[in-house]
Amino acid sequence: MLVANAVEQGLIYGLMALGVYLSFRVLAFPDLSVDGTFPLGAAVAGILILRGMNPILAALVAAGAGLVAGTLTGVLATRLRIPGLLAGVLTMIMLYSLNLRIMGRPNLSLLGKPSALPALARAVGAPRPYENLVAAGIFCLVAAMLVLLFLHTELGGALRAVGQNPQLVRTLGTNPDNLLVLGLAVSNGLVGFSGALAAQYSGFADVGMGVGTIIAGLASVIVGELLLRPRSLFFAVFAAVFGSCVYRLAISVALRYGATLGFTPSDLRLVTALVVLGALAAPALRAALKGETP
Amino acid sequence: MILEVLKVTKTFALGAERVVALQELDLLLAEGDFVTVIGSNGAGKSTLLNVIAGTCRPDRGRVKLAGRDVTRWPAHRRAPLIGRVFQDPLQGTAAQMTVAENLALAGKKGRRGLAPLLTRRRRRFLAEGAASLGMGLEERLSEKVAHLSGGERQALTVLMAVLTRPKLLLLDEHTAALDPANAEKVLAITEKLVAEHGLTTLMVTHRMDQALAVGNRLIMMHKGHIVLDLGEEEKRRLGVEDLVGFFRRAGVSDDALLLGANGCAGNGTMAEKAKKAKKLAHLL
Repeated sequence: MLVANAVEQGLIYGLMALGVYLSFRVLAFPDLSVDGTFPLGAAVAGILILRGMNPILAALVAAGAGLVAGTLTGVLATRLRIPGLLAGVLTMIMLYSLNLRIMGRPNLSLLGKPSALPALARAVGAPRPYENLVAAGIFCLVAAMLVLLFLHTELGGALRAVGQNPQLVRTLGTNPDNLLVLGLAVSNGLVGFSGALAAQYSGFADVGMGVGTIIAGLASVIVGELLLRPRSLFFAVFAAVFGSCVYRLAISVALRYGATLGFTPSDLRLVTALVVLGALAAPALRAALKGETP
Repeated sequence: MILEVLKVTKTFALGAERVVALQELDLLLAEGDFVTVIGSNGAGKSTLLNVIAGTCRPDRGRVKLAGRDVTRWPAHRRAPLIGRVFQDPLQGTAAQMTVAENLALAGKKGRRGLAPLLTRRRRRFLAEGAASLGMGLEERLSEKVAHLSGGERQALTVLMAVLTRPKLLLLDEHTAALDPANAEKVLAITEKLVAEHGLTTLMVTHRMDQALAVGNRLIMMHKGHIVLDLGEEEKRRLGVEDLVGFFRRAGVSDDALLLGANGCAGNGTMAEKAKKAKKLAHLL
């Protein structure tokens, strides 16, 4: 049951990891606004469900809210020429206040309210006790397929080129700024959707639930890449989701058995950050070991 | 006239000084012209190409392409009319995408929709194009461009630049970063493709023998002016020594190194050029 629960969470957060993969890897844009769009999705879906909206529809509206937030970051970074990291931070900070306004208080309880995962599980007739697992898997699979299809269109191809060579895209007649905005919108749409599902799954939306989202997303993308070493786009997209599942499993194990090693749940983010740090620093460390100077 | 550059002036700020990269420059290109451009470092060659491509807005003057005034058009809007190859082979392709994907991106300029980037039909068409390079790239359509050599990559870039039959082809020392054998090969491919499609071409080169051997017209730039404009006949009669003579008479000296490079100009960044100039200052 520990594994099944971890994989469920991994799939739900895997949607967020897909979004981070899009911004961080495809666009080569370190987008910190996800720390704000994840709780934004939770807040929007939460308040809509409390007002009686269908939970799946509420999650889609939450994705739309994420889309708008991503567009904002993109516009800040391109039209207003604010450095990418700062653009993300600005959106994130704005969203903190906005999320409080949307919810009207720091957290919402969704316990006993309808949730998208069981709703979908009932619709497809998933067997007990794997309803959440099957439903989260379907959401994640559909999202991953849509992302893959999109990246293989004319527009998506240009989007991939932007992260590698924006000058080329300009030479080929498309404004790379517009593509960046589009990419960030889609990325944050996925993150918003993920936040909405996470809130429904855990039974609450909290204004602080976004802290560290970007680090968890990066950890998922990097762990997936390390384990699967994807050569093609297809595997790269699934590696992000796979990495998310491994990451959640590692956390579950750490939470259950960490106490005997002296870890507490409060050490979680430190450990995650160290994992990401290690993976990002690996090329430089390897070069240093070989005696090359950077 | 395919290209009309009319009284274009462009200056850059270099510290407290203002440096003139282009000074009331006029240049007209007729359809089918293949013009080679030579000049010392900082003569304004790259700035001229950037002003034409739209990556750099002139202070004064107008640029017309195929009869349309494009002076205020951003670079990406002009792109359907222009094919461009840079000196650095890395600059003209997306390394982590396949040969076919790069070609497909180049095969459709401007509006991009949700149609698939690659269809089987499109792939066949692109394979034919790749085969025309004679480098075996048609067998490697699914390979990432990062795996190609510099010469293969630059040949691919040339093909990408001409794929949509642009009104004007801009080549910015596009063989300078290659070894001699590959430089020859890429130049031969360029000449072949230009001839096949009858493209109007502006080619910057630092090699005077190349400037004389290729194309039907040669211009020499110095300090933002065109100081020499030779037609096909004169070009054929002249040798490299004659060109060097022209350079001397134009008073080309190495302080011209300082010019160029801003956001807009130059193979070689501002810092590099400033460093070179400092070195020279020490020697003098």
